[in-house]
Amino acid sequence: MVNVEDLRKEAKRILKEEKVKYVIGYERGQNGLMPKPAFIKDPDDVDRLIWDPTCIHNLAKFLVDEKKRKARDKKPDERPVGIVVKGCDSRAIVVLLQEKYIDREDVHIIGISCENNGVIDEKKVTKKLKGKRAESIELDEKGNFAITAQGETVKVPADELLADRCLECRANYPVIYDLLLGDKKKKNIDAPFKSLEKMESLSSKEKWAFWDEQLTKCIRCYACRSACPMCYCDECVVDTINFAVTADTTASEKAGKIKWVEKSPVPSENFVYHMVRAMHLAGRCIDCGECERVCPMNIPLRFLNKKLEKEAKELFGYDAGFDPDEPSLVSSFKDEDPEDFIR
Amino acid sequence: MAENFEPRIVAFLCKWCSSAGSDLAGVSRMQYPPNVLPITVMCSGSVSPLYIFDAFNKGADGVLVSGCHPGDCHYIKGNYYARRRIALVKKLLDFVGLEPERFQMSWVSAAEGTKYTQIISDFVDVLKPLGPQNKLRRNL
Repeated sequence: MVNVEDLRKEAKRILKEEKVKYVIGYERGQNGLMPKPAFIKDPDDVDRLIWDPTCIHNLAKFLVDEKKRKARDKKPDERPVGIVVKGCDSRAIVVLLQEKYIDREDVHIIGISCENNGVIDEKKVTKKLKGKRAESIELDEKGNFAITAQGETVKVPADELLADRCLECRANYPVIYDLLLGDKKKKNIDAPFKSLEKMESLSSKEKWAFWDEQLTKCIRCYACRSACPMCYCDECVVDTINFAVTADTTASEKAGKIKWVEKSPVPSENFVYHMVRAMHLAGRCIDCGECERVCPMNIPLRFLNKKLEKEAKELFGYDAGFDPDEPSLVSSFKDEDPEDFIR
Repeated sequence: MAENFEPRIVAFLCKWCSSAGSDLAGVSRMQYPPNVLPITVMCSGSVSPLYIFDAFNKGADGVLVSGCHPGDCHYIKGNYYARRRIALVKKLLDFVGLEPERFQMSWVSAAEGTKYTQIISDFVDVLKPLGPQNKLRRNL
């Protein structure tokens, strides 16, 4: 079991020794059960840090923000940033390191193993409690969640409340860390891509019907892009720059400002947007589930990324986010890559 | 309707091989269906997945990416990258429910004019019964 005091002790130590600029962790939010990201600068504030199964966010995104902030700063503070990570978040950091977006020296990683469990899915908890507000969720030794809501405590088996991604997690411990809390126990997963099976067995027509229904809902708020630690490009291909074509506009100017995707949230454009995003995350997505969690329209976006994760694994034997020195999926190849689909 | 339907194919052809292959088919006066819109690219590895989605978005009924045989790439390894990327695009298009036959890849060298005509006529034969591609077509 992970003791939250160990986490606070480590945060206090690195802040006191001025090893890090600040520590990114989780603290209790103002609104009920769910935590919010905490940025701790003062060693006396470390008691705000928490760790429990409600810590669902992927904090690696803030490393991307930090890098951008540092680039703007004239006299940047060169010290690293302390960050609290789960298994999936640590793999996000590995991908950022692999792409040389951040350096290992930029970050002091406090890894926390999820051990045999993971984090909860807020929607599942709400559903389970039928609208009641949970006050606390704790994990007992037998792997059950004890939810306290309005003075009553209910025990629920972990599998009913765990986030979908945690049920299919292939590395529930941090793969990269400066300090590891908890045991590096590997959870046994029989079918890491089980959620895809049903989808894949459908016919083209049924698959299309499913995705058409889902992606028609998309309002193109780009919350998925904002929450994704891998979406760090300064200029995104789907952002159309306002560009007035006049009689003086040259062909090369027009060619440099191609409008790949229309802004209008209509199904055809939503498909292009989401497929481009899925392709850009191929071999990079570490399945932290943030895109799906932040989606206001409840589109199962994890599915698209999971599918490409599966194909990367099955076709090319590639696992995203385990080895920072490995070349990335689409910038490498093997002679024996499948080519049975090519004439 | 299906009998009168003439599919439109967008073909991304590598300048060093497939494009020359289609040229050979042309200068040799080989007959093949006129449904194909060839776009010469410098390498099959330069075909971004975005080009493919965009071709479907702008109304292509089928998309073909054609490059050099493995080992023959002018840029040494561009076609190997293409092979990997296009395998993923193909799986993704299949996953969202586009008929997998609508997207194909082939290796055509500069000497294979006959193979090129064969690929195009087979592709047209596959696309005709499928009818127009309206799933990804821009509809504002």
